[in-house]
Amino acid sequence: MDTAILIQQVLNGLSIASVITLIAVGVTLIFGLTGIINFAHGEFLMIGSFATWIVVQAGFGFVPALVIAVLAVAAMGFALERGLFRFTLTRPTNGFIVSLGLIVVLQHVVIFFYGPNQKSIPRPLSAVWDVGGVRIASVRVMVILVTIAVVAATFVMITRSRYGRALRAAVEDRDTAALMGIPVRRYITGVFVLGSALAGLGGALLIALFPVTPFTGGTMVMKGFAVALMGGLGNLTGAVVAGLILGIVEGFSAGYGFSEWTDAYSFGLMILVLLVRPNGLFGGTSGPKMA
Amino acid sequence: MRSLLLTGASVALCLAASAYSAAAEDTIKIGVVAAESGSFVSAGHTLPAGVSLAVKEINDAGGVKVGDKTYKIELLKRDDRTDVSTAIAATQELVRDDKVAAIFGSESHDFTLAMAKITQPAKVIHFAGNSTLAKVLNPTSVAPGGENHYLFQSEPQEFQRSGSTARGVLGLLEPLVGHPLKKSVVIVGNDATGQFLTSYYVKALKAEGQEVPEVISYPPDTTDFSPFLTRAKSLNPDVVHFWYNGDSTLTALPQALELGVAPSYFLFGVDPGIWKERGLTADVPVAMSCVPICWGESSNANAKTYFANYFAAGAPKGVTSSVSLLYYDYVHFLAEAWEKAGTLDPDATVAAIESLHHKGVVSDNLSFNTSHQVTHATEVCAAAPGGAITCAMQQPPAEEPK
Repeated sequence: MDTAILIQQVLNGLSIASVITLIAVGVTLIFGLTGIINFAHGEFLMIGSFATWIVVQAGFGFVPALVIAVLAVAAMGFALERGLFRFTLTRPTNGFIVSLGLIVVLQHVVIFFYGPNQKSIPRPLSAVWDVGGVRIASVRVMVILVTIAVVAATFVMITRSRYGRALRAAVEDRDTAALMGIPVRRYITGVFVLGSALAGLGGALLIALFPVTPFTGGTMVMKGFAVALMGGLGNLTGAVVAGLILGIVEGFSAGYGFSEWTDAYSFGLMILVLLVRPNGLFGGTSGPKMA
Repeated sequence: MRSLLLTGASVALCLAASAYSAAAEDTIKIGVVAAESGSFVSAGHTLPAGVSLAVKEINDAGGVKVGDKTYKIELLKRDDRTDVSTAIAATQELVRDDKVAAIFGSESHDFTLAMAKITQPAKVIHFAGNSTLAKVLNPTSVAPGGENHYLFQSEPQEFQRSGSTARGVLGLLEPLVGHPLKKSVVIVGNDATGQFLTSYYVKALKAEGQEVPEVISYPPDTTDFSPFLTRAKSLNPDVVHFWYNGDSTLTALPQALELGVAPSYFLFGVDPGIWKERGLTADVPVAMSCVPICWGESSNANAKTYFANYFAAGAPKGVTSSVSLLYYDYVHFLAEAWEKAGTLDPDATVAAIESLHHKGVVSDNLSFNTSHQVTHATEVCAAAPGGAITCAMQQPPAEEPK
């Protein structure tokens, strides 16, 4: 086996993993901590990509476009949580159906204004380094580093901050937390907005790597949910490790196995993990108990 | 007095009904079923755009003169949302409720087969721009009384399309690469269309003397192609052929360039217009093929006017905008057939279509063979590393390679 090709496949796996992990972190936060099953999370990501594209088209650089995409999708998350999902909190199935409806609505709004065709932006970083026959694209390194930084910051916030502790207390027992003065409803909004912001960031990073269409969200969110469940709902460490595993499995199956089965390998792995460890690799919340 | 009023009202109603009936008779309804949303949208949305343009041109020119009567064409569009069940439901609605005389679509082989199960028993003329209908179209099945008598394939057979493409790609790339091209790796989306088309394209490459060590299939909707490309790189190809899906192809190429997979590439279904609009560049030669004529750079004299009108009508400049030509020409063809037949009777219309030689955009001499299939050239272009683009219409092989 050619060593350079092998190392290249490992690097390929890492870059897939970072994109999937960004989505999974948003999914695991929203689904695991608020109980909202937002299947339109992929469309939030797609809107982040389109927002980035619009700003870059207007002549701004990638960094301001990324910031605007994050803020725009966070604002959209706030509006949708307050305007829609809030009314479904006691009936998660309704929330699930609402999110399915949102997929269609958001896709068609984007198609109406910007058409169905692919959109892409110039690569924010174009350098490609050749190290011993292994090609390393700087833009992929950027995506991996941003993912590490954002996931680490989110991890610290959830596990170390007062907000994070209160949030976890609300997940354990919503009523008692409310009696202790924790504004549970506001925290749910906060988590939803944070998850949406991460989707916006994921979208901005995605369009830095690949062209996007109004339909890009669908596949990505399925993998995001798979990773969130595999790692354990609400468990950030689990999401990161599961994202890595999925990325490496995808990379290697495409590179060395039956390449057309790549998706089947990943979802087969998810089924296997959930059969052996129903709460995911690292365990997680079973979702908040509904009022 | 009362009975006089009733009689008057009845006469007025009868006159109104007969006027309505005359107005209804002056219109021929045709339908188009295509993916205006969903994953096939980049090709799908070109169908209603192309058919609409042709309908507008025919109506603006006065309509279709059938016998001593002139008809306007009314177009009914249905979005199948890239969902076969929706395509079936839309076809049923158009055939049973709207009573259309003809249907155009869809862009997908499987969808067309399902739609034909409805259009054919109903004697509705059906044009489908799929290169893949050879399994159901043959002299027996399209003969009078045959199960697909009213179905017409408006794209050349796949061995022809693959043959002209493979020959054109290798012919344009070899001088740009500067040495003989011997080894080709094909990367293709793993769905029914991808599998079907690839079997023909690999045969066509081998007929051109290529060694094809592997066909690498990827799951549909793949965005990160790097593992597949790294696998292709390990095979040391002279050309990597990105086959079949234009959107995926455009996603994969920049990744291939980053990884330095091969000294040349071919992007199936990508128009040089998109290449130029997006400011794409490559440090190696890249061939592109259009289905059937390129809108961004064409050697076909008829193409310029058509695409100017097509985009002026509001159609977006997409990867596969030229797919519209697999439908546009055939609306005019059908109108000419109705005029020649002098009737809207489906059987007489089919006989007229079978005998016509139509001057279209794609070719000056469009006609259907005894299996209701057309033959015409495919345009292939190549972008040199410096950016210059060269295009050529490539005629298809006469016979299928063994």
